[in-house]
Amino acid sequence: MYAQAFFVAVFGLAAIGFGVWVFRTSSMVRSALALLFSQTAVGCMFLAMQTEFLGVLQIMMMATEMSIMAIFMVMFMMDPGGMGGMDMTHQKRFSIGAGVVAAGVAIAVAVLADWAPVSAEAPAAAMQTRELGRELLGRSMMIFETAGITILTAMIAATAAAIPVQTPAHSDEKENPE
Amino acid sequence: MSVAVVLLALLGSVWLLAVVEGWTTTGRLRLTAPLLSGVAHLGRESIVPRTPDRLFFEAAPVLLLVVAVLAAAVLPLAPTLVIADMATGALFVNAALAYVLVALIMAGWGPNGAYAMIGGWRFLGQLIAYAMLIVMPITGVAMRAESLVTTVIVNSQDSVWNIVYQPLGLVLFIIAAMALAFRAPFDLPVAGGELGGGVDAEYTGVRLAVLRLARLTLVVTLALATTVFYLGGWHGPLLPPWAWSLIKTLAVAVSMLLAGRYLPRIREADLMRWCWTLGIPLALLNIIVVGILVLVVP
Amino acid sequence: MTAVLIVALVTGAILFGIGVYGALSQTNLVMIMMGVELILAGALVNLVAFWRFLHPESYSGQMFVLVVMTVMALEMAVGFGVAIARFRSRGSVEMEEAEDLKG
Repeated sequence: MYAQAFFVAVFGLAAIGFGVWVFRTSSMVRSALALLFSQTAVGCMFLAMQTEFLGVLQIMMMATEMSIMAIFMVMFMMDPGGMGGMDMTHQKRFSIGAGVVAAGVAIAVAVLADWAPVSAEAPAAAMQTRELGRELLGRSMMIFETAGITILTAMIAATAAAIPVQTPAHSDEKENPE
Repeated sequence: MSVAVVLLALLGSVWLLAVVEGWTTTGRLRLTAPLLSGVAHLGRESIVPRTPDRLFFEAAPVLLLVVAVLAAAVLPLAPTLVIADMATGALFVNAALAYVLVALIMAGWGPNGAYAMIGGWRFLGQLIAYAMLIVMPITGVAMRAESLVTTVIVNSQDSVWNIVYQPLGLVLFIIAAMALAFRAPFDLPVAGGELGGGVDAEYTGVRLAVLRLARLTLVVTLALATTVFYLGGWHGPLLPPWAWSLIKTLAVAVSMLLAGRYLPRIREADLMRWCWTLGIPLALLNIIVVGILVLVVP
Repeated sequence: MTAVLIVALVTGAILFGIGVYGALSQTNLVMIMMGVELILAGALVNLVAFWRFLHPESYSGQMFVLVVMTVMALEMAVGFGVAIARFRSRGSVEMEEAEDLKG
């Protein structure tokens, strides 16, 4: 139990540390990779909480997701290398206040609530994978299928939004030369 | 104990692979060449480019090496010779190998060089091409074994190896593995002829030695994964289990090297098109065929 | 065991707070999405902690984690689609310059 508390706390601190770093560095690739390592630390927390399948899945998915985020950061930021020292924030005081209040309320609830009996034993990892599969294709099948359809919809929507609009020749919009 | 044995086996395979690579490029079989060139790298000046992202520049080769070893840690050489027999082994291989991309983006961004950066971002495009072709064939393998545990996957090939059971999956997996390890026909991020070395370009001295070691380890890891998932792992007559694993791994690794030598480098756009218009439908077909076989063949 | 649960919940809460700060304070669309990802990461930590320590026998908790992970990926895909469209037509994804989106 102490080992578990230790590892959850260490990976939690790592996740928080990298999470803070995301908004403190001005290099965009560093920012995206800090977010990646924050998410990886969250995945390691899952592993420390004996949730093996979800932990490994989180670690796997976030690697690709955040790397793609990195290239979009470089594409869209005016100063991707962070050498110019631009300030890319606004309404700072309000945001800090909102963040602190949100975290404070959630912490207060976590500490003050009465978490009745807490179970000491988690199911074995292989058992979890098996039961999760049965859950997916049993009781929660409808939700799972809905998630699949949502992915398809999002793919189509994202592609439709991203492909260039074929405008007539007299368009005054800036078009890509290609 | 098994940690040391597996690491030693990996290192030995890397050395043999480096010897074979030298043999095919120079035509001379010199057993000490990899060691000597490694020592030479240690002695050379290790240049740091101007205004690098120092953290990424230093971390990238090490991360690549660590990732390759981590992926190998869940792959068994013999029934008990595996560092971590995880309940989600087959998924963990994917998770670890996803960080190859992270290491290459770090190596591309870190040195503050144009060629390196293009190489790093190219690999991101390459990932979008090959990623599905790594995951979907493994799905077929896990379906047959009805488990994600790597030792159970090997045991499921006791009578018929997966190379016979799902040859389509094997072909797709090997192609995707070569793209993942950025070996010759898919060496877009390091393309010697057009990018001047790409992500390798700015690395010298000891850092280059680590990077080369990491790349060869990655090839060995992927060959070991191919062995475990498709070639029956440690199964084979006469010889002890670990010997069969190593022989098959080395055979796959060497054939990856040789295939690369006789194929022209593929264009990024072509790779993407073939992977998505041909590869993914074939991978889905493979899953369907395996599903039917699992249900019909007892 | 309650201690571990509270450690995990506090971590989730702090991640949530950082995410809220990021989503509100950043001017760039992609950075705002990073804030949202952190908010969702905080939610994931809480979900897994609740599953593990309160209801390990019910797998709906893990199912919910999968759905949230899907939402994270979808948010990125659609967000980048919108970002590309906006960048192509206006040359920037800065939110300060997006006054025209106000009704």
